[in-house]
Amino acid sequence: MKGRYDDENLKWIPILIIAVYLSPFLLKSATFSYKYYLYILNMAGIYMILTVGLDLLSGFTGLMSLGHAAFLAIGAYTSAILVDQAGLPFELSLIITPVIVGLCGLMIGFPALRIEGMYLGLTTMGFGFIVKRLIIAFRDWTGGSAGLQVSKATLFGFTISNDWNNYFMIYTFAIIAIIVARRIVKSKLGRVFMAIRDSEQAAQASGINIAKYKMLSFFISGMFAGFAGVLFAHTNHFISTDHFDILLSVYFIVMVLVGGVGSIYGAVLGTLFIVLMENMFIPLFKDTLTQYMHLEAGDFQAFIFGLIMLLFIIFQPMGLYGMWLKMRIYWKLFPFNPRKRFT
Amino acid sequence: MDNLKIQNLHMNFSGVKALDDVSFKVQKGEVFSLIGPNGSGKSTLFNCINGFCIPQQGSIKFENVDLLKIKPHETVKHGISRTFQNLQNVPYMTLLDNVLLGAHRRLSMTDTFNRWISQKEREREEAMALEVLDFLGIANFEKKYLSGQPYGIQKLVEIARALICKPKMILMDEPAAGMNDQETLEIAKIISEIRDILGITVLVVEHDMNLVMSISDRICVLDSGKILAMGKPVEVKNHPEVIKVFLGDEAHA
Amino acid sequence: MKRTVSIIIITALIWMGCENRTTSPGVTDTEILVGNIQDLSGPIKELGLLIPAGTNMYLDYINAQGGVHGRQVKMVVEDHGYNPMKAVVAAKKLIEKDQVFCLYNVIGTSPAEAIRPILEESGVPLIAPATNSSSMSDMSRQAAKYIFHTDAGYDLQTRVLIDYILENNPEAKIGIAYQDDDYGANALKGCAEAEANHGISVQKESFQRGATDFVGQTMNFMKGGCTDVIIGGVVREPVTIMKTAQAIGYSAAFYGLGPTVDPRVGLLAGEAGEGFIAVYWAYYPDSDEPGPVLYQELCEKNNVPAKMRGLYHYYGFATAHVLVEGLRKAGKYPTRKRMMKGLETLHNWESGVFPPMTYNRNDHAGVESVIILQLQGGKQVAITDWRN
Repeated sequence: MKGRYDDENLKWIPILIIAVYLSPFLLKSATFSYKYYLYILNMAGIYMILTVGLDLLSGFTGLMSLGHAAFLAIGAYTSAILVDQAGLPFELSLIITPVIVGLCGLMIGFPALRIEGMYLGLTTMGFGFIVKRLIIAFRDWTGGSAGLQVSKATLFGFTISNDWNNYFMIYTFAIIAIIVARRIVKSKLGRVFMAIRDSEQAAQASGINIAKYKMLSFFISGMFAGFAGVLFAHTNHFISTDHFDILLSVYFIVMVLVGGVGSIYGAVLGTLFIVLMENMFIPLFKDTLTQYMHLEAGDFQAFIFGLIMLLFIIFQPMGLYGMWLKMRIYWKLFPFNPRKRFT
Repeated sequence: MDNLKIQNLHMNFSGVKALDDVSFKVQKGEVFSLIGPNGSGKSTLFNCINGFCIPQQGSIKFENVDLLKIKPHETVKHGISRTFQNLQNVPYMTLLDNVLLGAHRRLSMTDTFNRWISQKEREREEAMALEVLDFLGIANFEKKYLSGQPYGIQKLVEIARALICKPKMILMDEPAAGMNDQETLEIAKIISEIRDILGITVLVVEHDMNLVMSISDRICVLDSGKILAMGKPVEVKNHPEVIKVFLGDEAHA
Repeated sequence: MKRTVSIIIITALIWMGCENRTTSPGVTDTEILVGNIQDLSGPIKELGLLIPAGTNMYLDYINAQGGVHGRQVKMVVEDHGYNPMKAVVAAKKLIEKDQVFCLYNVIGTSPAEAIRPILEESGVPLIAPATNSSSMSDMSRQAAKYIFHTDAGYDLQTRVLIDYILENNPEAKIGIAYQDDDYGANALKGCAEAEANHGISVQKESFQRGATDFVGQTMNFMKGGCTDVIIGGVVREPVTIMKTAQAIGYSAAFYGLGPTVDPRVGLLAGEAGEGFIAVYWAYYPDSDEPGPVLYQELCEKNNVPAKMRGLYHYYGFATAHVLVEGLRKAGKYPTRKRMMKGLETLHNWESGVFPPMTYNRNDHAGVESVIILQLQGGKQVAITDWRN
């Protein structure tokens, strides 16, 4: 029996999942360079797992984090060390690493009990720098600044060796992560997180221990990031501190913002949008535009991202997912004044 | 029988006396109103009962539980829930979710990860939330998002959230603030029903004198943190000090 | 019988002929496409402008002469912003989408390290990665057979410098300022070798990539009584350290590793930089070897502005020689395998820009000796022979 308020568009989900699994075959038949596109999609899949977790923390609980690249780094390095140096099987690392990263999240959650907003952002950012220095300092395990080679993932005897296999592994886990996140959001926990974001007083009056649930939010978010980190390490086969700079954390925030703060599907859409934008659409018109605008390649990218974010914040604060909801309502009510129905 | 016992409460906000030697008792199953001009310490008193503020002196006991020793979120455990003066809701959740927030303590963690195990528990709570919404007369809105709903409904949702905690006592901070006459009447009806049908003690802070006089069993008048008068509505109404404070020169006119 | 044999032989010959005509992706009848990944937006983006410009100057020169086996060599440049992740994306794009014949000159150690798995998977060779880290030519590492390194490692450079210092002054107290990343780690490796060889201890001070203030480090060298200081920086670091030393009245001899051999050091440091000794592993731009002479000629011909000329522009020019030689060795119908085999046949190859270079199956290290240059009156002058 279905719960009363399960999502009404649940029937689309199996179709979407089938589409996810079919798309590599379509890509393969459509283009010769499908491996490149698959790689980009894989990256989006890994980032998706992380941004869904970030959305739980920043979008739902209202705790800003600029340290998620660091969580990703901890996850990647922990898994690399556990699997390659301690000899643990990959499957075990998939379970242990997220917990370890979640505990790191818990640690960073302590200051969150006292500070909020921008200051929390700065604190988490500082955490990112500390992690980077620590990775360099523990060079015996992490390879220092030269980076670390990571073995291929072995899942139940199968070695996941190329982009094709990576795709299926990553997206299976991404789908699981999205479903788990949806469950969290649609349950008691989701209600608590949103109550903490919107009204701490109401939350306390309802018997919610705010400190406990803020920490829990950091823990869960850290777990998602750690999970993404494991996949990151074992599908890229090389990690170094240069991967996880502060800009990556900012990108994650942008992904969540563009997708729509406070909706899981929004985070997924935003991640896809930004990753595809960065790697496929911007290069298309980069050359022509740089001629006229006298911007260098990197500046151009930053310029476009800044513009996108600005436009979204001004015109579409609910993000891509909000746009989709509006469109749906528009067509539902079509002949009758569809404007301003959605707030 | 005494339900809430407040004794010699003193509260200072950096020199400003918010509460000055306040003591009273609230009996079980009565509507007890706190009135007084702005800044007379009504909300502070609520916050002290709720644990948001800690008074410098005095004691607050609720059914032999020392409320000063527990944290804000634990008051619900001991049967006290409250609503707020300005709306404290979650706009981007449905009405039903907002009400279920109050049922937080009765839902276990398995709700998140195992909907099959906790399905019964969840259905029970949803049914209860619907019952509460029905009781308040807004059951048809349960799937609507709270943001964009009329103010009156948002106020009622807060009361619903307080009710679903199954409290022994509800603290209501200005339940009729910002409402029109008809809605105020409805609130009055609801408050008396809460007392009569559910048997819950209600502690109300309110500015609307008509509402207070019509629903209260007893009234306590606060002024600058001191108790000015206490008693049945009729007694308080005719108390000379109260007339002076509340109506000022109008009484003589 | 005779007929059968001859038919078989003829078929085999035709088959072999056909086989020989197959080429790898990126090669058409008129063109060979080469991929380059540079930092166009990151911390060293000025290099991303200079190095490909130098390469293109040489490729234009070759193309004007008719190209390699009648094919024009073309280069696509991608950006990685010194981010290994982006380097991987760029490499995938170049290999899968643009279908380049080979990769060339991926700048930075961590980006070059990050694309090892891709090289392994796709079998695309990487010619002359633009990093002096000796890990690139370590044959035990992943995909090592696809990487043809040219530069002498930082460890070798550091070791030779320390050897040189102790040769002239056995009592010298040596200090080294190293960048807190792979560059520095590699330099420290050479330092440790030298320490073991000579039984000395070197004072080590670290700084971060992109740092602008070196007062602390310079003071520490002064307190430690260092007479000779090796600076593992690029351009800003040696200039700033030497100027700081001059300002606080600390006189020591200063030395720099490969990346500091740039005319800008002399220009910016002024008199504080006089006598600055640096170590280099190619015929430096001002020398009379055929490579540098051709370089100066081409610069004049193409009106390259003076501020662009120098180490990095020259670096692009120089490493392009190895690329073009590789393409030549790949033959008329180039495949990636033939290119790699061809490069491995080079023995004491005189390119004109590098000292004689050798590649073989077990050695992809390229240049393995260095020369020591001194800044005299704003010009680099060789003060030793090639050493290693």
